[in-house]
Amino acid sequence: MQSRILLALAHTAIFFFLIVPASAQSDQADESLKLREEVQNRGWLAYSSRSENGTWDIFLSRPDGSQRQNITNSADYEEAAPRFSPAGDKLMYRRLPKGTTINHDQWGFQGELATCNPDGSDPQILGGEGDYPWAVWSADAKKIACLTKKGIQIIDLQSREIEKQIPRNGIYQQLAWSPDEKWFCGTANYKNEYWTVVRMNIETSEINALRSYQNCTPDWYPDSNHVILSSRPAGQAGAKGYGYTQLWEVDGEGKQHKLLYGEDGLHIYGGAVSPDGAYVIFTRCPEDGGGAEKSGGTLCIIRMKDTPMVGGESPDLRQLHPDAKSGPMIEIDKGWEPHWTSAEIKAAP
Amino acid sequence: MKNRMTRYPSACFLLAFFFISCTGKPDSGEDPEVTSRGSIEVTAELQEIPGEFIDRSDYDYAFVMKYKVLEVHRGQLADSEYIYVGHYNPQKPRDAVSDARVDDVGGRLKKFNSGDIHRMALEMPIDDHFMGGIVNRYFDEYSGPVYWAVWTNPVSR
Repeated sequence: MQSRILLALAHTAIFFFLIVPASAQSDQADESLKLREEVQNRGWLAYSSRSENGTWDIFLSRPDGSQRQNITNSADYEEAAPRFSPAGDKLMYRRLPKGTTINHDQWGFQGELATCNPDGSDPQILGGEGDYPWAVWSADAKKIACLTKKGIQIIDLQSREIEKQIPRNGIYQQLAWSPDEKWFCGTANYKNEYWTVVRMNIETSEINALRSYQNCTPDWYPDSNHVILSSRPAGQAGAKGYGYTQLWEVDGEGKQHKLLYGEDGLHIYGGAVSPDGAYVIFTRCPEDGGGAEKSGGTLCIIRMKDTPMVGGESPDLRQLHPDAKSGPMIEIDKGWEPHWTSAEIKAAP
Repeated sequence: MKNRMTRYPSACFLLAFFFISCTGKPDSGEDPEVTSRGSIEVTAELQEIPGEFIDRSDYDYAFVMKYKVLEVHRGQLADSEYIYVGHYNPQKPRDAVSDARVDDVGGRLKKFNSGDIHRMALEMPIDDHFMGGIVNRYFDEYSGPVYWAVWTNPVSR
């Protein structure tokens, strides 16, 4: 009788320690597979990645990572930081001399501005080295806005004339233009805090802080009323008190702040929201800055409805965000500064 | 009787060397760079360094410090008594501070110490000349122009 009880206990232990975790892993894999299938035909991603020749090139893939293709494929240049036009009919990126180290904070000042069709055809170089810094598309892609020392310039792409110049009011890098064309956001010196992400009313040039203390790389949600950004909150014990950079959502007034994704041990950068607002793409990288100086990080996608999400064990972060989910998340490729369009691109199969 | 100077020549030489070393040769900080760069040139006393510099090799920034103006050599100041000057990556010696981001700054100053006197070539406002993070710990007490230090030399009197 006693031996039967012991046997039953042993079976129970085996079930809980071996079978249940295996089952949980299997569930996670199933969930990831579901997510992969879900995003597969939701447009295209563009991102920079190291190609076989060792230089940075621009790659296209489906959001599930399939149909990956190198659309610049040049061994003589470093091409990085692609941005689709809002309609997805054009692409812009920076083209740097071969061997240039991309600086994660200064890339918008580096190299030449290039535009092309979304499949990489008809590449055009606009200006010279350092021209059109931090260029971003207007809603109709007929204009770009650039962040210069003298101010934010709105430039007509056909005539190349400056249509409007407004004070930059402390914004010093990573400009983004809202889809409704009413707002800019960027990384700024604001009052006595640098690394503050601010929003600027284009009509009045007035700015308001969205999130202060160690924030950067903002980008707009499709609703023009929320911003996704990278943030390294104070008070983290990890990395000898330096902390890890997380992905956050902030509303346009800077009042509502929500963690999207964080993982102790990794820095999260390159955040962008899918055109339908239902997914988030970003990079996970052990190095601060997203790996621009090396080979980027791991491109990942999660559902917006699964946020806030915490990856890995991350005990400190889970304590702060006890309701955060753990997945699902899919990994796409190794890369840097991804962007997403819902447009269909006639890319080579 | 021989003169003591001639009896102990090496001792006298050492004394003279020690005296010169201690007193230092006066240096107005003037050189071809500081007198030609920027649109403003001043000699000013560094009043204070407001807190610690940020020791992060992978993040560049400018750090604003308060100076008492002693002499204006060129140009005009908005405020003639005190000025607020942003120095690029202040933890570095000025002759090693220029880089790909900011290639037109420099000088002979090795280290910032409050109370020291500097001869500086300046531009104004800082935002027209530097695009990056600015640590301005005077923001709550001062809202006037912040100058950009182009060239910074030590002055000894």
